[in-house]
Amino acid sequence: MVASLDQSTTTAGPIGTSPRRKEDHRLLTGRGRFVSDLQLPRMRHVAFVRSTYAHARIVSIDCNELDPIDHPVFTALSPGFEVGLFAQSALPGYVETEQPPLARGKTRFAGEAIAAVVADDRYQAEDAAEGVVVDYEPLPVTVRAWDEPQHPVHDAALDNVLLARTFSAGDVDAALAAAAVVVRREVVTNRHGGNPMEGRAGVALWEGSARDGHLTFWSGTQIPHLVRNLLAELLELPESNVRVIAPDVGGGFGTKAVLYPEDLALCLMARSLPGTPLKWVEDRAEHLAAATAARDHRYELEAGFDAEGHLVGIRGEAWCNVGAYSVYPWTAGIEALMAGGLLTGPYKVENYRCSVRGVATNTAPSGPYRGVARPATVYAMECLLDSGARALGMDSIDIRRVNLIGPDDVPYRLPTRLIDDTGHYAECLDACIERLGLDELRAEQARRRAEGGKPIGIGLACYNELTGLGRAASAGPRMPFRTGHEACTVRINPDGKVVVLSGVTSQGQGLETTLAQVVAEAVGVNYDDVEVRYGDTDQSLWGFGAFSSRQAVIAGGAANLAAVDVRESALRLAAELYEASPDDLRLENGSFYVAGSPEAVGTLADAARVAYLESNRLPPGFEPGLDATRFYDPVMGAFAAGVQVAAIELDPSTGEITILRWVCVEDAGRVVHPQIVDGQIAGSLAQGIGGAQYEHLVYDDEGNLRTGTLLDYLMPTSAEIPEFEIGHIERPADNPLGVRGVGEGGTLGPAAVLASAVADAVGIDIDQLPLTPERLWLALEDQR
Amino acid sequence: MTTDRVTTDRVTTETKVELSINGRRHVVGVEPRHTLGDVLREQLGLTGTHLGCEHGVCGACTVLVDGEPTRSCLVFAVQMDQTEITTIEGLAAADGTLHPVQEAFSACHGLQCGFCTPGFVLTAVHLLATNPAPDRATIRRELSGNLCRCTGYVGIISAVERAAVERAAVERAAVERAVTNAAAVAASAADEPSSPRH
Ligand code: FES
Ligand code: FES
Repeated sequence: MVASLDQSTTTAGPIGTSPRRKEDHRLLTGRGRFVSDLQLPRMRHVAFVRSTYAHARIVSIDCNELDPIDHPVFTALSPGFEVGLFAQSALPGYVETEQPPLARGKTRFAGEAIAAVVADDRYQAEDAAEGVVVDYEPLPVTVRAWDEPQHPVHDAALDNVLLARTFSAGDVDAALAAAAVVVRREVVTNRHGGNPMEGRAGVALWEGSARDGHLTFWSGTQIPHLVRNLLAELLELPESNVRVIAPDVGGGFGTKAVLYPEDLALCLMARSLPGTPLKWVEDRAEHLAAATAARDHRYELEAGFDAEGHLVGIRGEAWCNVGAYSVYPWTAGIEALMAGGLLTGPYKVENYRCSVRGVATNTAPSGPYRGVARPATVYAMECLLDSGARALGMDSIDIRRVNLIGPDDVPYRLPTRLIDDTGHYAECLDACIERLGLDELRAEQARRRAEGGKPIGIGLACYNELTGLGRAASAGPRMPFRTGHEACTVRINPDGKVVVLSGVTSQGQGLETTLAQVVAEAVGVNYDDVEVRYGDTDQSLWGFGAFSSRQAVIAGGAANLAAVDVRESALRLAAELYEASPDDLRLENGSFYVAGSPEAVGTLADAARVAYLESNRLPPGFEPGLDATRFYDPVMGAFAAGVQVAAIELDPSTGEITILRWVCVEDAGRVVHPQIVDGQIAGSLAQGIGGAQYEHLVYDDEGNLRTGTLLDYLMPTSAEIPEFEIGHIERPADNPLGVRGVGEGGTLGPAAVLASAVADAVGIDIDQLPLTPERLWLALEDQR
Repeated sequence: MTTDRVTTDRVTTETKVELSINGRRHVVGVEPRHTLGDVLREQLGLTGTHLGCEHGVCGACTVLVDGEPTRSCLVFAVQMDQTEITTIEGLAAADGTLHPVQEAFSACHGLQCGFCTPGFVLTAVHLLATNPAPDRATIRRELSGNLCRCTGYVGIISAVERAAVERAAVERAAVERAVTNAAAVAASAADEPSSPRH
């Protein structure tokens, strides 16, 4: 059980406590406001006509059956639809390709939107979509990134490789030649995706003329400012004429950190139908077929160890399936670059060479999903360590210990030049093992081996989560923007209450609560007197949004800076009003105190009233108002250390795995809201377990998705997910709040942990995911 | 050639259904194909009922129909004539005081994005009405028809466990109060002069 999950308090809510979440009341009473809840006057509804072929020329699109007034139909040939999404990167070896709002000329994956139809409600829109007849001329299909390409997905890349890069350090060939042992593993990971419970949805409203109108776009996006930026460019509008609003959002996990062609199409349609709000709410089948997925990778790796188990070199190749399009704005490199850049994880190794490729195929585009590539790389890396331990006759825990980056090694420069600033992995590992009660489990394992009984296995994974990437750390993909910073405005209203306008977004992570805690503490007011607003580009100055576990570090950092500025202004004003020295004054719970006196001399509300309404009482040189806007950029990133250890039991007669125990210890730095942090870890662990054991987007050779509903695409329920034992070592990071990101770490371990537990239990190497009962049973049959 | 065009004036047969929702009577005209979920959300503005899959797997759309958990994406509104429906909007008191199950979800961090939450809360309300003291394993089993992508379920299970424990405590206190009151009444009756009244 997670201790802190039970300990919600309703106290003041300073950093380190778990006040009641500000989001909870509305969400629990059905008064959240999600995009799909929006109803506007004159609103009409949109359905997309989607490709039934994975790769085909579009010969014709016939919509003669539909009345053009009742049911306007849009295709790539409609006026204004010449524009497209170009994800850009300056990396050599990157091939830029276009993603059109609606398929143009040919369709590149089954499920791609080809046309869009408007109707008075969603039922009628779906009816009308059936009135659109598309004539196809099928083309050869390529489904796997490592297969011989059949027919180029994009003419710009005849070999389908949209990005290729080799990471290299030291002399890996010499190192492996001199190694005591060299092990080789080839592993394949399963495509799955974020699959948030709320799918994608959008409402677009164009007001005014086509040339000089105003566009409002309600969207579940994780990145509203980036979306505004691009929409303004593509629609040739001043950026101030575009407003993007992300209200309550039902989960994102990276899936919504993408600008989708459907989003663009909806806005283009709105421009053609000014004054009519257009609403699109996808269904789950559309989501599985056309939202971005991830983790469809293959790795061929070799690792050399010396006789004591030290890693001397890693060499290999990786293929990442990009799907049909280079995801906007992150590019086809998103997974491949992360895979090659962080493969070595928290282990010390100097000699390294890994060639990675992002390869286009006729499947739905891949994109960011919680953990980006690392659930796969951690699995691949831990497989190498398990193989190395076996080859050397070493204990699987010991081999990790001798290779982990330690506190004395930091700052440690990874072979890919990223700087690891934590080094607390062994501490996490020790805490996990102590919590697990390793000796007892080993004894039980031995007993069962001797006396019979279902085999028990103990598996582990150590990982580093790169969080809160500043401008230097986010430079890798060479995109035309750097996601290192975030803006925040902290404003004291005339009544003394505080409003925070943040550029980040929240899809369930509780940012309204966390930022309120940060600001309440920094200003010196009560948590209840702080209101946080985000997700509206007309309210906050600028923000990149929610991804890469950056919100607590970067948005928290900006909120803290702005709050400190505001407190200082308030103290200066109060010093004048109450004739005290600013150094003797402090602001606490919304009141001013002079050193040495328990009685408040005045309140923030009094000072704020003066600041806004009584300029006659303002001291000379004071501008009216009490607010501050600050940017924060940590420049580097904060690595978060994490280790997971689990005990499993196998049923050899069915191949079924029962998880007996699951322990996770992470260094989240200073914890702002323990309950939320543990909730992030528990949620990401469950997603990791789902991806490792159940979830699989399976394409047949014709490129048809065979797991296109939740009856086939299995998401884990409360019956499959075990109790988690979550622990922390809190080593403050080098940023003003001392925090590290925690959003993703949990997803990084499970595949590796389960594979390593199976290897420990029955000596079988799992080289392909998901780890289904069938796969395990077949492997056990082979062994018998 | 408008004759071969499909227009919105399809012949639609609207049926009137009478629903009692959260204690209020509604008469709504619905098409036979309209699901209960869509009618609640689109026609009645009760957008607290969420649609996560629209094919009966995720449980987000769960409402109580005559007390039974029902997937509102899988039933048609016309089937619901003369039923009593409870949606998430109907649980809290008018002044905003949360229902004990809602309260426990908040206290135990049983929700993150809140999208699955209405379905979980209503399913849990039904569970506790039928099994007042479930253990964690039972709660896990009983709630396994609902999907949550955010929480990893831990907080949800804790919330239901806590709601059960608190309910038991409230009931125990009520019983104790009743016993004490009865004793007090008995004692004061014993103190009364024995002369008959009237
Ligand atoms: S929306 Fe009804 S079960 Fe998913
Ligand atoms: S809280 Fe987000 S799906 Fe459950």
